[in-house]
Amino acid sequence: MLFSRRDILRILLFAAVDLTLPFSPLHDRPLYAAKEEFTGPLPNIDIGGFIRPPGALPEKDFRARCISCGVCVNVCHTMKYDAISIAGIREIRNFGTPSIKDMRDFPCALCMECPRHCPSGALQKIEKENVRMGMALIDLSLCFGWNGDVCLSCSKACPLGGKVFDFYNGEWGNQPYINESCVGCGLCVKYCPLGGSAIKVVTREQYKRVRNTYVLEFKELLEMPHEERYTIIYGRNLPQIMEKGRFIEREYR
Amino acid sequence: MTITTKHESEAVSQELQGRIQEPGAGESFPSPGRKRIGISKVRRLVLLGIILLFMLQFLKVKALVGGLSGSVAVFSLRFIDVFAYLESLLSSRSFTITAFLAALPIAGIYLIFGRAFCGWACPMDFLFGLINRVRPPKMKGRPSSSKIGYGIAVAFLAGSFLIGIPLFTNYLSHITNFFRFITGGVFYALDLPFEPSTLFFSSGVLVFLLVLELVSPRLWCRVVCPIGKTYGLFNRVSLLRLTFAKSTCMECSLCDRRCYMQVRIAKHINRPSLRDTNCIYCGRCVEGCETKGRIVKMTLWRQR
Repeated sequence: MLFSRRDILRILLFAAVDLTLPFSPLHDRPLYAAKEEFTGPLPNIDIGGFIRPPGALPEKDFRARCISCGVCVNVCHTMKYDAISIAGIREIRNFGTPSIKDMRDFPCALCMECPRHCPSGALQKIEKENVRMGMALIDLSLCFGWNGDVCLSCSKACPLGGKVFDFYNGEWGNQPYINESCVGCGLCVKYCPLGGSAIKVVTREQYKRVRNTYVLEFKELLEMPHEERYTIIYGRNLPQIMEKGRFIEREYR
Repeated sequence: MTITTKHESEAVSQELQGRIQEPGAGESFPSPGRKRIGISKVRRLVLLGIILLFMLQFLKVKALVGGLSGSVAVFSLRFIDVFAYLESLLSSRSFTITAFLAALPIAGIYLIFGRAFCGWACPMDFLFGLINRVRPPKMKGRPSSSKIGYGIAVAFLAGSFLIGIPLFTNYLSHITNFFRFITGGVFYALDLPFEPSTLFFSSGVLVFLLVLELVSPRLWCRVVCPIGKTYGLFNRVSLLRLTFAKSTCMECSLCDRRCYMQVRIAKHINRPSLRDTNCIYCGRCVEGCETKGRIVKMTLWRQR
């Protein structure tokens, strides 16, 4: 026999892998193993509720008005953004209500079609700038711009751009900061090139709760002496960042 | 919808008056070659047509977006079901002109057509109809008390007011669950974000209703459904009603037997009209009558 049974098996195995590789999820992996299933940014800060579609009334009023007709879901689908999805039965009180769950892959594009179509009045027609869906928080330990690099993807993706982003350019990067005009659309979350994103959108109520701690940390980092900052970045942050990896195709060009 | 029915039934009855003789002893109905009234066919087409119109939204055609609880037609005409509006109004304890203007056209339509929603628009009637083909409904005995339905409707409204959530519309509404089931299925198939538990719950409700239909035909429609009860009240003032022509009734009671909403038709045959709160204008009594539309009619305007 030219090939032993073991050889044939090996050949078949290689053939199978080669043929299915274009279809496998491993195909486009960057150099380091970028795992999006890792714990996301700011694991200690919970989203704090539901990120409602833009134009939503305050949570209690929204819940009272929403008849879960599904118009907003379907309009968002027609607009091809597919951002709005319906809460499952595990959220008993909010079963059937719309929320924007997957900011990483399907954020809100602020097309403002859903308030125009909501028949029950749970979503009000308002200006884009006045939308208060949530608040985006940058994880300062994961963001490239806070750990020695210059990135700018989030600010480029932001539909409100310069109004929302402040840059504290320094020796450790361009250090972006999202101020309180943020509407919470989540486009920055999607286009952050870090695996799993370095930005998290939380509800406005949750932001009020964590604001003091977050601003304190931000100020501390800016005023930190060189050595301490170096230790934090190279000791703690960069290993995490390396593990999560960088998706070049996510960067907003 | 019902206008064609009315014209259809009138045209047929006029044709009949010319063609057949007065019923005499020994005459058998229907005689071969005589035209049958196709109300049920038209009705099923309308039911299916409405469902298909809503399906267009998944092909990204914005003909009718949403579901029958709340929808948007042709870009900007917003509609909201009357009972859903009441629940939403009570749970939010505030009045908004947007929601009111969305409920108004629907209320207007059914002030004209009464409870025809149940017979001509509700997707559950279509599904129940399919079940009925498998197991034809046998309406036996006295009509079960459907007054309990009013209590159920009021309970849902009170609950919505107290808890601050539109209870029936959000959780148990057959209409919401029907459209949620379809939306969930389409999204799941297209690999878009959608909670599988929603799909399970909605299909659970639908399966429960279908099994209920097998066990007790139209129990949901006759007794439980608060949307039906609301539109049933519209029957009292609607333009559409059952009317009876002064003609020799053969007292065969076929109309009663065909009615699956347990409306007592034969009893009222000597009155000019009948506005039963359970009547959904399905047309089975008109079709079932031995005289085929001469005696029992669905009338929209003044009787001639």
